[in-house]
Amino acid sequence: MRKKECIAMLLAGGQGSRLGALTSKIAKPAVAFGGKYRIIDFSLSNCVNSNIDTVGVLIQYRPLMLNSYLGTGAPWDLDEQEGGVFVLPPYATQEGGAWYSGTADSVLKNIDFIDSYNPEYVLIISGDHLYTMDYNRMLEFHKQNQAELTVSVIEVPLEEASRFGIITADPTGRIVKFSEKPAQPDSTLASMGIYIFDWPVLRSALQADAANEESEHDFGKNVIPMLLAQRRRLFAYAFSGYWRDVGTIDSYYEANMALLDENSEFDIFSNNANIYSNANIFPPHYVGEQAVVQNSLVCNGCTVLGEVRNSILSTEAYVGPGAKVEDSILLPGARVESGARVMRAIVGERAVVEVNAYFGSQDKEQPIAVVGDNEHVADDLWSGRY
Amino acid sequence: MAGRIFGMISCNYNDDSFGQLTAVRSVASMPFGGRYRLLDFALSNMMNSGIRTIGVVTPYQYRSILDHVGAGKEWSLDRKHGGLFLLPGSIYGPKGAHCSFMLRDIIKNMPFLERAKSDTILICGSSKVFNMDFRPMFAAHEAAGGGITMLYKKVNEATAKDALYLELEGDMVKSMTRETIGEANCFMDCFMIDRKLLLNFIDWYQNFSHIDMTEIMSENLESLPIHAYPFEGYLGQVNNISDYMRCSQDLLRLEVRQELFGGDAKIRTKIEDNPPAKYSAQAEVHNSLVPTGCVIEGTVENSILFRGVHVGPGAVVRNSVIMSKCVIQPGALLENVICDKFVKIGSGNKLSGTEARPLVIAKNSDI
Repeated sequence: MRKKECIAMLLAGGQGSRLGALTSKIAKPAVAFGGKYRIIDFSLSNCVNSNIDTVGVLIQYRPLMLNSYLGTGAPWDLDEQEGGVFVLPPYATQEGGAWYSGTADSVLKNIDFIDSYNPEYVLIISGDHLYTMDYNRMLEFHKQNQAELTVSVIEVPLEEASRFGIITADPTGRIVKFSEKPAQPDSTLASMGIYIFDWPVLRSALQADAANEESEHDFGKNVIPMLLAQRRRLFAYAFSGYWRDVGTIDSYYEANMALLDENSEFDIFSNNANIYSNANIFPPHYVGEQAVVQNSLVCNGCTVLGEVRNSILSTEAYVGPGAKVEDSILLPGARVESGARVMRAIVGERAVVEVNAYFGSQDKEQPIAVVGDNEHVADDLWSGRY
Repeated sequence: MAGRIFGMISCNYNDDSFGQLTAVRSVASMPFGGRYRLLDFALSNMMNSGIRTIGVVTPYQYRSILDHVGAGKEWSLDRKHGGLFLLPGSIYGPKGAHCSFMLRDIIKNMPFLERAKSDTILICGSSKVFNMDFRPMFAAHEAAGGGITMLYKKVNEATAKDALYLELEGDMVKSMTRETIGEANCFMDCFMIDRKLLLNFIDWYQNFSHIDMTEIMSENLESLPIHAYPFEGYLGQVNNISDYMRCSQDLLRLEVRQELFGGDAKIRTKIEDNPPAKYSAQAEVHNSLVPTGCVIEGTVENSILFRGVHVGPGAVVRNSVIMSKCVIQPGALLENVICDKFVKIGSGNKLSGTEARPLVIAKNSDI
């Protein structure tokens, strides 16, 4: 195999359990976002836009949707003769089989894959983050500092810092301290879970970590602290720009809704955004004679006959006559039938809000209502009308 | 069916009756329906019917066809065996909105015919809008013992200029005419023919290579049994600018959209990675088709927009077709207008055509 300078390992095995109904049947990276995308599109597009043409996608939790969505990688121009996208599931060996037991373990189990490209650098990224980033700049930074590991960091508010891996760096950018989810954070630089390793350093670190029975085989919890203790050259690369890990229903909802904001920091609309997706082949959406569509995003294949305000309609969503959708997200194929009303809600893929049913609540104190994929919300005749 | 039949699509014809719209492109690559080109219908119909070897006879102005079709990826035609064959057309294709199957275009591509591993060929024009499964037609063709089977649609008014109409006796073609009135059987520029028979045609007529395939069929009606196969669904005939407008407006009818785009057999087209369409808080959109990549801040009624159109605040677009990447600046008003791609309509301009004669704005115009 031809040698590659840098290949990417994309962690997509997580469940995203706090997304509840949205991830009951699909992994978090496969969850629809922003109307026509799935969350994994953003990191895959970053790879392609950074000229990284070899991406190993590590899967484990409910991989069917991810598998079929990724396909040959062609939608991201990742159908390469030498390289491309590889789906890498856990596998059995002569010693038996085991699941990936942590982020580091999943990469360890694919050493053969990485070795086959004999790369100088390995980029480790997560498939469930929303951001646009040129990894080349980070790689340049890594080379300039002759770093062995570079961690991409972002400034976060102090009160949120205890949710992240927090990094303290000296003025040259060299990491002097790393604490995973500290109770008393003493820095506001958070790790984004994006790493560039020298491959030989990563390779031996993974093997050392595997031998450690105490380890949870996690990059943040185990591998980075180990390398730091060994006084390796670890550097923090400061990233500024939009970056979100939509871990909860609330943050998922807010990140979607932020796209409607004229001054949204996350710009998927500009000409050079180049966010690729495994697009569908639906016709343009139809907006009916009596329809109202305002301050919303609408995708191909949709039919809007009712009213839609401050909402996101994913591919092939349907809003029937007399129906009202406000401050809501309709995922691909969701249907809001005639006379139904949806407010501050997320309607799952191919889920149906039946005729005259009410779903969600205007009350901002109430949690965002969610109906899971393929489920139905019936008109119960009793629930309060707004 | 895949192995037993292969396809050939003629794009090598053009027509002046589209004015500016076909000055830079062939009829086949005319944008249609918000994200498609006319050729997509023939190509997708063949693909959805299981045909995996398709030759596309390119027109003189072939840039937009090549750009659009590429290696045929979107139609599953980038294949090891078979797949898409871009075939050179003869220098000047005939003028006329109705497809011509020039014998010399076929002679020019004899190796494609000779090497094909199938015994039947489906030849189709590229300017008709319809969604059809060719498999039942193929079954009828085989049941009738092969030969030639022509596809037609029964129309109430034979209005299409230069169209070919079939007079039938049962399911046999008795005669063909270009002039008829009232109810008629309109040939859909689409027929199946045994490969051997086609090779015979070439043998007989190679010294008259400018002849049209339908003329050969017409001349040999006595000796050749030619069957006809009816199509019952929606047929969009795009023969001139007002037809183009009417067919585009047809897409605003639910039953037409349902039939063309609603089933499992999707019309495929070149994919662009556009973001979702964005509506501002002031947007007013009624009875219109809007694809991804559009930004709507004004009013759009009874119109078809293409990808990447920007309608500015206070701008009004009515009964119009606005092609890709057009910018309608604030306060502009368009009525019964067809804007070709990349047109910029400056603030405050008021442009209107009539329903019967829409105003066409040429590609790249800055008004």
